[in-house]
Amino acid sequence: MSGEPAVSVVVIDDHPAILAGIEAWYAASHRPITVVASGSSVRAAWTAPGSTADVVLLDLQLGNGGPVLPSLRELVDAGRQVVVYSMRDDEKTALSCLDLGAATYLTKSEGREHLVEATLAAADERPYMPPALAGALGTNARTDRPRLSAREENVLIEWFQSESKDLVAQRLGISVRTVNSYLDRVRIKYANAGRPAGTKASLVARAVQDGIVDVNDL
Amino acid sequence: MNNPGTGERLLVATLGRYGVWLRCTVACVCGALGLVSAEAADVPVALCLLVPALLACVVRVRTLRRPLPLAPRWGLDASMVVLIGLSQPVLGHDADLMVEAIIGISVISFQHEWATPPVAGLSLAALGAATCTLGDLLSSPGHLESASLMRMFLEASLSRAAHVIVRSRAARADRTAASQAASRREAAVTAARRATEREYLATLHDTAAATLLMVYQGDGRDWSWLPSRARKDLEALSALPDLGAESVDLAVLLACVPEGEGRARVHLTSHVDGPLTIPSGPGLAIFNGVREAVTNVARHAGVREAKLRAWAEDGGIVVELSDAGRGFEPESVPERRRGLTGSIIGRMHTVGGSASITSRPGAGTRIQWRWHRPIPESRPSPPVNTARAPALPCPPDGREQPTASVRLIRGQLLHGARLAALLISLVVQFGASLRQLTAHHDAYRPAWAQTAAFVCLAFVTATAAGQLLRGRQITSSARRWGMGTVLSVSVVCAFTLPPEHLTGPQDWAFGLVGWHALFFLMDRPIRLFIAFLAAHVGLTVLVVLLSGAPTAAETAVVGISTVSVIGFQLSVGALTHLFHDMAARAGTESARQEKLRTRERIHEQMQHDHRERYRTLTATTVPLLVGLGHGALSPRDEEVRLRCGVEAARMRRLFAEGDAVTDPLLNEVRACVEVAEHQGVTVNLAVRGRPGEVPVEIRRELVDPVAVILGRTRSTARVTVVWTPRAVHVSVVSEDCADGCEPTGPVPAHERSTNSDVTVARTIRGQDVWVAASWERTVPAQELTPT
Repeated sequence: MSGEPAVSVVVIDDHPAILAGIEAWYAASHRPITVVASGSSVRAAWTAPGSTADVVLLDLQLGNGGPVLPSLRELVDAGRQVVVYSMRDDEKTALSCLDLGAATYLTKSEGREHLVEATLAAADERPYMPPALAGALGTNARTDRPRLSAREENVLIEWFQSESKDLVAQRLGISVRTVNSYLDRVRIKYANAGRPAGTKASLVARAVQDGIVDVNDL
Repeated sequence: MNNPGTGERLLVATLGRYGVWLRCTVACVCGALGLVSAEAADVPVALCLLVPALLACVVRVRTLRRPLPLAPRWGLDASMVVLIGLSQPVLGHDADLMVEAIIGISVISFQHEWATPPVAGLSLAALGAATCTLGDLLSSPGHLESASLMRMFLEASLSRAAHVIVRSRAARADRTAASQAASRREAAVTAARRATEREYLATLHDTAAATLLMVYQGDGRDWSWLPSRARKDLEALSALPDLGAESVDLAVLLACVPEGEGRARVHLTSHVDGPLTIPSGPGLAIFNGVREAVTNVARHAGVREAKLRAWAEDGGIVVELSDAGRGFEPESVPERRRGLTGSIIGRMHTVGGSASITSRPGAGTRIQWRWHRPIPESRPSPPVNTARAPALPCPPDGREQPTASVRLIRGQLLHGARLAALLISLVVQFGASLRQLTAHHDAYRPAWAQTAAFVCLAFVTATAAGQLLRGRQITSSARRWGMGTVLSVSVVCAFTLPPEHLTGPQDWAFGLVGWHALFFLMDRPIRLFIAFLAAHVGLTVLVVLLSGAPTAAETAVVGISTVSVIGFQLSVGALTHLFHDMAARAGTESARQEKLRTRERIHEQMQHDHRERYRTLTATTVPLLVGLGHGALSPRDEEVRLRCGVEAARMRRLFAEGDAVTDPLLNEVRACVEVAEHQGVTVNLAVRGRPGEVPVEIRRELVDPVAVILGRTRSTARVTVVWTPRAVHVSVVSEDCADGCEPTGPVPAHERSTNSDVTVARTIRGQDVWVAASWERTVPAQELTPT
């Protein structure tokens, strides 16, 4: 664990209290995470020292207005790993962010449980699926959605419902590891189906390499 | 039809009564004329024949209200025609016309008097024709007049056909009115049920829901008020929907008790001291009981008379039905015959009254219904929450209904009468008049004028028939044209026939145009038809007078034909005029019956709903309230507190059911969440997917686990609603559910849909309890339109 390199993050949020909370959660991480820069606008991610951070943590509602989704797109196109962190708890926003190439989508109420893990996963180009996002993917009714197996859909919904992989595993009679692998597979399927982006390609490549998905599945 | 409607019944009764009166009047008048013209020596013999015949008529008129049994009635009518027919040879040749007129009218009127069975009417007609012929043969042997026989046969058939036509229209009007009434009734019942449901929910809300919520939220306060309040809540919930809000006059109700038909008819002698105001619930119970008891008299007592009395006594009403029939031993009534116990006694108990039956074999039967106004003190008004019973909403007033059904019945009757008049015009014109016209072609001056008149009349008939059969109304312009033509025909025929032949066999138009006029003027005031007939007859008289003063014999012949032909047409016209009044009566009566039936249905439905609702509560709320009311359960016990929480949440969900919102499922979930949040539980509610339609009974099952788990949660819970294209999932996770998160009491039976596809999964891990209910949507995602 300690052998793993530290992760640098640039936090884009216009609320000082949130920023303080985030830093506190990061400080408790088993693997060091340093907030190298922060700011109330996306500019912080483009200028040093934010420009070289491993992960960009992006709040969707920036007070200075202006559309944040184009900024997300630019960051993704520049090959950055972006974790979207939002007050909004609706599936539409989550799906749009995912489609634009965000590494993951977190609601602020999920911060305490999932922010650290999501950031670390993004830094490693591994998939991560918090419950709110699982709910959004499980109920996705768009025509261009990737085909999921019934089991995968079940796991998504139950993960969203219970927010506890232990409960899901117990209900389905499988191990937590298997629950995780179902969630990862869904995330990869989405990455594979979405808009081509460097981050997505690396996500899929990494997943194949880790044996999460079989190339033939995709 | 086994069960004729109001309109048809009234029509048959009116036609029958009218027929009897007409026949008897004609018989009296013509019989008297016959006597006057007879030779003095023959008078005693003629009297011996005519007086019994007239007596038979009088008996028939006198017994109109209470018809005699079939056989004596037939016997009276048969003896009347036979006696009249036999009087012909006695009265002499001059009386021919009189006798023929009486028998002719009788043959026609029998078809209406004897609506059922038709064979009785037809056999009487045949008998009339036979005696008439026999009389002819006796008075002038060897001379058989087949023409009058033919005419009688034709008249009887036409009369029967007219009866059938008009009656079938009346039956059709009844059916239409009944189906309209049925849909109105359903609407009224639905509205009333909805109103009572609302009222019930309001009561529940003010009583049990409030109490349970207080217990759920309360801690360590003074609970001394609780037992009495719980008891009052119970009382309020078990109170029947109060039908007392609306009162009825029992005297009016009792006047509607059917006496039965035909053989099962019981003649009721009523002594009712009205008005007897009574709430409609007990009023209907008594009415229904009396109705059942009256049919019992017909069925078991062996008598056709019963006495119905009703009077008020201090604070109550007593109704008594007694008969002098064979009686019975009340104890020995077999178990399976539920009429007495169920319909009469049971019904009264349901509404808080009583009924008693006194009978002994051979000593008749007496049934008494008693109902007393509840004494106000017996229902103490609770101080905190009023134990109010939901009031029954008034069924919609039947004020507009009579006009609608009157119009309907009147329209159909007129249509039927028009068809009948048309049929008569056609048959008379082409059956009789055409033969007259061709046989006496030489008599007319000029002949072409009469032929043209005949063709014109035929054309008018054809046009009118076309309009009528296509279901169109006779327009006023068509009526003007038609009447113009008919009048012209009358004028042409009067002036192109030698005066001495007028009203004779050569005059084909004299007896015909009246039917055409009746056809056109049926829905107009009767005076127009009278005016037409007067003009028509006046023309003939004018022509006769212009040609010089007629002899007395000529006058007599013209006079008698005029009276028998025109008089008959006039009486038919008067009869159709009676239809207006009859339709009004039929409409009013059916509206009254309708109102009764509606009230009865509402009452039934209310009781049924009430029982269902109460049964729902018996599994859940009632035991809690009973326990709290009698101190068996303590509000300080946490288990009791949480059970109250669950029931309170369930009730909130029930109240939310009626809200008009876009997403009722979420609305009901929120209702449960609010109860828990109010108690300080942190509930995280999340929704995914696009909401769709879920039937109310499915919603009940989906949301019930949420109510149960949240009611027992101490601090934190997560509730989610997930809509996928194929299914909807409602889930609740409690981080610290009190023991026994198994649902307290099952989802009550009537709330469970019969073949529900709701699956409920339950997972417990340490303190965590997770319950998820899912429903596969059979119809793929019928999405709600967002507002």
